[in-house]
Formats: sequence, structure tokens, C-alpha cells
Amino acid sequence: MSDDVKNLKGASRRDFIKSATGIAISTGIVLGGLGISPKDTDAKESIPKKWDETYDIVIIGSGFAGLAAAIEARNSGANVVVIEKMPVYGGNSIINGGDFSACGTKMQKEAGINDSPELMLKDMLRAGLYLNNPELAKIVAYQSNDALEWCANYIGAKFARLNFHGGHSVKRAHQTINASGSELVNKMLSKAKELGVKMYLKTKLERFIVNNDNRVIGIEVKKDYRFPDEKTGKKTYIKASKAVILASGGFSRDINLRKIHDPRLDERFESTNHPGATGEAIMAACMANAMDVHMDWIQLGPWTSPDEKGFGYVPLFCERLVGYGPMIDPKTGKRFFKETGNRKERADAIILIGHPVVILGDSYAVNKQVFPAALKKGLENGSIKKFETLEDLAKNYNMPLAQFKNEITKWNSFVEKKKDDDFDCMIFPDAKPTIEPPFFAARLWPKVHHTMGGLVINENAKVIGFDMKPIAGFYAAGEVTGGIHGAVRLGGVAMADCIVFGRIAGKNAAKEIPWG
Amino acid sequence: MKNFLNKMIILIIIPIISFIGFVNIIMAVPKKIINAKPGYCIQCHENKVLPDGHKDTEKMGLKDCIICHNSTKKGNLKTKLTGSHFHMLSGIGCDDCHGNNEIKNSVEYDKCINCHDVDKLVEKTKNLKPENPHTSPHYGKNLDCNLCHHQHSKSENYCNQCHNFNFIVP
Repeated sequence: MSDDVKNLKGASRRDFIKSATGIAISTGIVLGGLGISPKDTDAKESIPKKWDETYDIVIIGSGFAGLAAAIEARNSGANVVVIEKMPVYGGNSIINGGDFSACGTKMQKEAGINDSPELMLKDMLRAGLYLNNPELAKIVAYQSNDALEWCANYIGAKFARLNFHGGHSVKRAHQTINASGSELVNKMLSKAKELGVKMYLKTKLERFIVNNDNRVIGIEVKKDYRFPDEKTGKKTYIKASKAVILASGGFSRDINLRKIHDPRLDERFESTNHPGATGEAIMAACMANAMDVHMDWIQLGPWTSPDEKGFGYVPLFCERLVGYGPMIDPKTGKRFFKETGNRKERADAIILIGHPVVILGDSYAVNKQVFPAALKKGLENGSIKKFETLEDLAKNYNMPLAQFKNEITKWNSFVEKKKDDDFDCMIFPDAKPTIEPPFFAARLWPKVHHTMGGLVINENAKVIGFDMKPIAGFYAAGEVTGGIHGAVRLGGVAMADCIVFGRIAGKNAAKEIPWG
Repeated sequence: MKNFLNKMIILIIIPIISFIGFVNIIMAVPKKIINAKPGYCIQCHENKVLPDGHKDTEKMGLKDCIICHNSTKKGNLKTKLTGSHFHMLSGIGCDDCHGNNEIKNSVEYDKCINCHDVDKLVEKTKNLKPENPHTSPHYGKNLDCNLCHHQHSKSENYCNQCHNFNFIVP
């Protein structure tokens, strides 16, 4: 505000502003509304005369990508700070399901699963409708095993089981021991702190600061910011001698931005994300000449429940059951889609039906497949239900009983011969007919889960500008970037993407020559 | 130009100022008096805050309040008073947390755990259903107390951003 006041011309006007400014702010009236516009601000003129803090590398965001970048940059000798706008670390990473897709791994070999980077890339491109930047997708697939090993061996995160996710050809999601990304995030946080990475909570990016050579040289932040109150926080300038790395995540919780790109995704759709998953950092990057791509490819999770908040426990139930149990439209009592289809196909199919559908499994499938704690919690909050008979199950969801029982008989025949004649669902070798009581079921209705779009980066995680050239001193990694997943991100590939490109960004940023 | 602006002030700004004044009268914000006597409500609160017939609290501390306000009688005070009142009534004044400075900055987590032992808290609430609020699979046991336990405004249930846990948050 003080800058604006300085720029205004004319004594009477200035006097008026001085006396009225406080009142205007307190009543929410912006100066523009009174027909007084501040002088156009030139970004290059707004370089602070004095920096409050200086680091080699400034990282925005404390999820998988930001922490991977921080650890690699620090290990390359750089002086690093990580800022996080929320009052807690970890963003979505610390609340995710802990599935890390990687190929050709030790765990896969031990389980007798034949996988390769070629196959993982093929799956990513097919699901992405071939809109993926093939070079970037290739880097994720080919470096996924190395990234997983780094997490396990260097960071010390424990991965306990192999899971299947729709759209993948094989089981390749390596799940953390506590079925949450927190296993990895918390160990990365400890590692980063141990290495001497500086970290700030409640510090929000306001804008990128660019010099006359179009190089990103630092950021303006608000310290002691209390999300989501924009009136809070103290303006602070942080200089980045080498580079700024943006790892701020996606914008699934930003309803206004969502609606710009996909007007269907209004208030009716909940999100699995944490409340801070908003798009202002992407927009700030675009204002600093960063190019965006695929912003309208917004992913809905087809495995969420309308009977619990947020991500919940049902995704951990549903995704373990696909390929073992059927998904039913309660209105018809029949199956309607390939259970092992990718996220987009399945979410679109459920939205087309227009009401929640039901996923179910018998005791054999559920006990074998579902993480016990997730089942227990889901049963406790009522989103997962247990039934002694299929009749009870049908009655609870108002299904036409005869049609439903016929459908189960048909499904069981497909399971016996390991081939689904109706929807080509992948049926796993160890799947058995759905016959053993008790039966477990949950309702499904999609929630906004991941934004595939974001900033354009190159193979070195450098952000590309609207002149098609890398912006000096500017890197990005993780969900804030776009183009890697194309139309659909496959399950577990976000963790691979974040770790692979977070590490690339950190290593390359540390190699930059300081600007001053 | 000058005339126009003067008119603007009369037409827009003055009614707004009057309105703000009006709102302030209705919602009298309590004063934050550093050396207030904890039980002497009207020192900070201009409006009457205790019900008719309530005992005179001027000389009371928390131990006196809970003679009547316990789980069996007169209702629990936990959700009626903000945290700062509990501190004040227990003899912990403003400066004990905010320091002896002119400007009172927000209180950091480290200050809280000087008095509140985290491990003891985790132990104390281990049987709460559906979850122990003082530890979580995401953040462990080291979350900032102030995410839930606000001192100068109503406390909140931070877990409920994503979950549906029915905790009473003091």
C-alpha cells in the first residue's frame, strides 16, 4: 500500500488517500473501486533494495517433491530453505495413501512380477491418451526404481506391500508400511533437518522476483501467515542466490481456478486434498513468465466415498478389491464398467450413472487384500459395511435382488475362468468367486484428486517460459508441473514423479552459478 | 476535483465510519488487560458475561470454578471459556506466555511444551474415541497445540478438515 501511495500524483488526491486509506481497507473497499488506479507496476522495478534473508536455494512446498529437492540440493553443498504456507508440513504427501509406483524393483522380483520401464512408460502414455510429454514420462518410468531405492535405503522409509492400481499392467505400487505418505515425508523431514536445511511453516509465497535479465532472483513471502486469512502475515524478501524451486502441489481445492478450466467441477464436488491445495503459486509463476499446460485435465478419484470426509478409508478398500470383487450400480443390480479401468474412465462412468455405486468383496478377498487398519476405520465410521449374506447387502443398497444375484453368479463364472466377457476386467490369478461370508461393501462417488496440468518443465526440471526457453534460476517439480501424466495420472505415479523430479531439480539447482 | 472528493467523503466514508462504530458497540470486543484479576470479568468485558444469580467471581481462581463446574454439575467450562481464561484463572498471566514485551507476538509451540509434557498428554488421551487427538499417523505427536487449542478465540478440531471426529476441544 505504501508503494501505491508514493506513486499517486496530485496533492489533494494524496491527502485524501492518506486520510481515507485506513477506512477503505477496514471496510474492504479497494482503491480501484473509487476510480483511483495506482501507477502500473513494472516487475523489474520492484526488486527490493534490501533482502531480509539470503539462501542459495529457496524451495516452496514441503511435500515429497520439495523435500526431495531440498535434500539433494543440500547434499550438493547448497544452503537451502524450504517454506510452507500451512501450519503443518507435508501438504498432500503426508496424508496420501503411500503408494509408490516403480518398475523392475526388488519387491516385484521377489513376488515373481515381471515388469520393466518400457511397460510402465507404455501404461503411463496409454492412460495419458498420449498427451504426456514422452521425454518427461520416460524419465519418471526409467528412474522410478532408483527413486524408490533412495527412499528406502537413504531416507529409511519402509515399504511393506505391492498393490495394484487401475490402468497399470502389473502390480507395481509399493505401499509404505503405515499405508500413508507420512512414513516417507516424516523421514524426509528428519533427514532434511539433520542435514541443516532451514524450514519455515506459515510462510506464503506472494510473488517471484525477476531481474532485468529475466532471471528469478528471489521471492516475496508473507511470514507468520495464518491460512486462509489473507490479511495476516508480514512481508519478507528472500533472496535465492542460485535458484528458486517451486514444489507447491496442485489446485484440487481451488474451486474458482478449477471452474475456469473445467466448469463441471464446481462446489458439488468434494476433494481428497488438504485445504491448502490452491493455485496461487502456479498463477504467481505464470506472472513471472512460466508457461502452463494441460490445466483442464483435472482428475477425479473414482474410489472415494460420499459417506466420509476427504480421502478417507474407502479408497484403500476399493482399490485393493478391484480385480477381486465386482462394482455394482445399485439401481440395476448389475456391473457397469471395467473395475480395473483407469481413474478417468471409471470416474466418468460413475458420473454418467449419476448416483453412487457399490464396490464389494467377500471375506476371502477383503482379508487377503485390504489393509486391516483401513478396514477397521472404515467400518467404524460407517463408510464400509459388513453383511452376513448377499441378500442383506442387496437390501441395504436397495438393489433388485434377483438381478444382483444373477450378476454375482455371472461374475463368479468369470473369476473361475479368469476372463471377464462383459467388461474385460483384469482378474488376478489368486482371485476367487465372491461366495465366502461375511461380505463387505462401500458406496463410491468421485472427488477431485489431482491436477495433471501445471508448469512446463524440461528434463532438468527447469521451468519453461512463454518464449519457449528455460527461465534462468527457476525450477519446478511435482504436482505443480504439467505434461508428465497427460490426460490421466496413474495410481502411485505421483510419488514416483515427485521423488524423481524433486531430486533432479535439487541437484541441478545446486549447480547454478550465483547471480550476485 | 477537490469538491468531488469532499462529496465522496460525505456520501461514502462517513456512513461507513458510523456503521463500524455501531458494530463495535454491539459486539464489544473484550479488552486485554495485562494485569487483570482473572475472576473480575468486567475489567475486560464491558458487557455482562455471567448469568443472573451467578456467584461473585472476583476473588476466584480455576480451583474455585470447578467446585460447581464439573462434569456432574452446572456444565463443563471446557467449551465455554477460551484457553486464555483457563491460563489466567490458574495464575498464568499474559506475560508468562507472551513475554514482557510491549508488542505481544504469537506464542510458539516451544513455549507450550515448557509446561505441558507432550508424552503425558498423549498418554492421558490414549483411550479417547475414535482416535487419540494428541498423536496421528500423519504428524506424530508434535503438532502445534494452537492448531486446535486457540487461546483468544473458540478452539477448533483441526482433524475435522478431513476426518469426522467428535472431540470436545477445550
